[in-house]
Amino acid sequence: MTDETDSPDMLAAEYVLGTLANDERTRADALRASDPRFERLVRYWEHRLGQLHAMVQPVEPPPDIWARVQARVAAAEPGSVMLPPDPERTAQAEGNVIRLHRRLGRWRRTAAGLGALAAALAAIIVTAAINPGLLPAPLRPKPVEIAKIVEAPATAGRFVAVLQQNAASPAFILTVDVASRTASVRRVSAEQQPGKSYELWLVSDRFPAPRSLGLVGTDDFARPTLAGYDPSTISDATYAVSLEPEGGSPTGAPTGPVLFAGKLVEAVPPAP
Amino acid sequence: MLTPPELVWLLAAVAKRDRAAFERLYVATRAKLYGIVLRILRRADLADEVMQETYLKIWNSAGQFDPALASPITWMVAIARNRAIDMVRKKSEVSIEEESDVLEVAADSPDPLAKREMTEELRRLLACMGRLEEERRRLVLLAYYGGWSREQLAARFEKPVNTIKTWLRRALLEIRECLGS
Repeated sequence: MTDETDSPDMLAAEYVLGTLANDERTRADALRASDPRFERLVRYWEHRLGQLHAMVQPVEPPPDIWARVQARVAAAEPGSVMLPPDPERTAQAEGNVIRLHRRLGRWRRTAAGLGALAAALAAIIVTAAINPGLLPAPLRPKPVEIAKIVEAPATAGRFVAVLQQNAASPAFILTVDVASRTASVRRVSAEQQPGKSYELWLVSDRFPAPRSLGLVGTDDFARPTLAGYDPSTISDATYAVSLEPEGGSPTGAPTGPVLFAGKLVEAVPPAP
Repeated sequence: MLTPPELVWLLAAVAKRDRAAFERLYVATRAKLYGIVLRILRRADLADEVMQETYLKIWNSAGQFDPALASPITWMVAIARNRAIDMVRKKSEVSIEEESDVLEVAADSPDPLAKREMTEELRRLLACMGRLEEERRRLVLLAYYGGWSREQLAARFEKPVNTIKTWLRRALLEIRECLGS
């Protein structure tokens, strides 16, 4: 094999083509995340080879996929579980937009050039804006998040999230002291599953992907560290628990179903 | 399929958590992405799962789409293919489809949209692929459309896996040189 065919460029090309051996593919995934130069090569090949899609015959997928996509989107962002709009929810959505502001800087520049197109499209979009909340009840995603205040031995600035699937069965209780960035997770009713681990994730607008806070549920108590996050990230985030292979997600991102999720509720306001 | 600028606009809206735009994007692209992942996975249950993961990823990463580096459809296709390849490598029991069926796609498409999608970039790519030795072109197409691994290609072409790797990389290198920078 020549040096030329052993270059990062060819690694990226074969990665995109999909022919790398499993260990090489894992390494390439890691490179993508850590080396912007490699990621650019991947993008190059994705775009070049991706032109071939034009020759693939479209196939209509089963109709129920959309409902399941919506359910998973809702589960990943319990703060915006699809329900008929209400003022509080709208305000929350606007808050999300503000938090997204920085990340969207590049988008805004692009969007500026598309102003005319946007105007032309507005009519179409309005027509298409059928509220997902109007879906027939069976199609509506099952809400997986209900956060409520529980009685906890409260100290100043302490937040609590109940991570559960339904109101009757809280699975984990997460207590966070924002000031000291310490947390504890107590398993309440989540059952141990053989060969599986529960992993806790911090989901925030500020990060493109959920951040692992470690495994929970192996003991009745776990103390995930939040030292790497600033207080506003900690208090605004959604906390989710997914079911992973034993020892945790092999990829650094949730691979199993997100079973429980919740947001922090302020149990006691910080002392003035 | 909507035009690329329309899709760019929708992705920008999705990045701002616009669910109506997300639904519109789904409606516009679902059949294309499903066709791609089904061809690789050949099992509806796996294709369904990959479709869900793909759109979840699109929802979560729309803000990272960069119109300078990709078109919306090649970006979404790449996400879908990547997930499908991950899945097919994990499920080794997925059987290999007849080769002819995979290649048929590339040979002659009855897809009425194909003409509209025949971009200048696609024309250039096809011209470059046309210059490859026939066997190597088939390798690349089987890998792209069918998600074939080196081992599967090695079995089909009755060559050692390392030879297949060399052929694939030489073919990709030729494509790269032909496309220029």
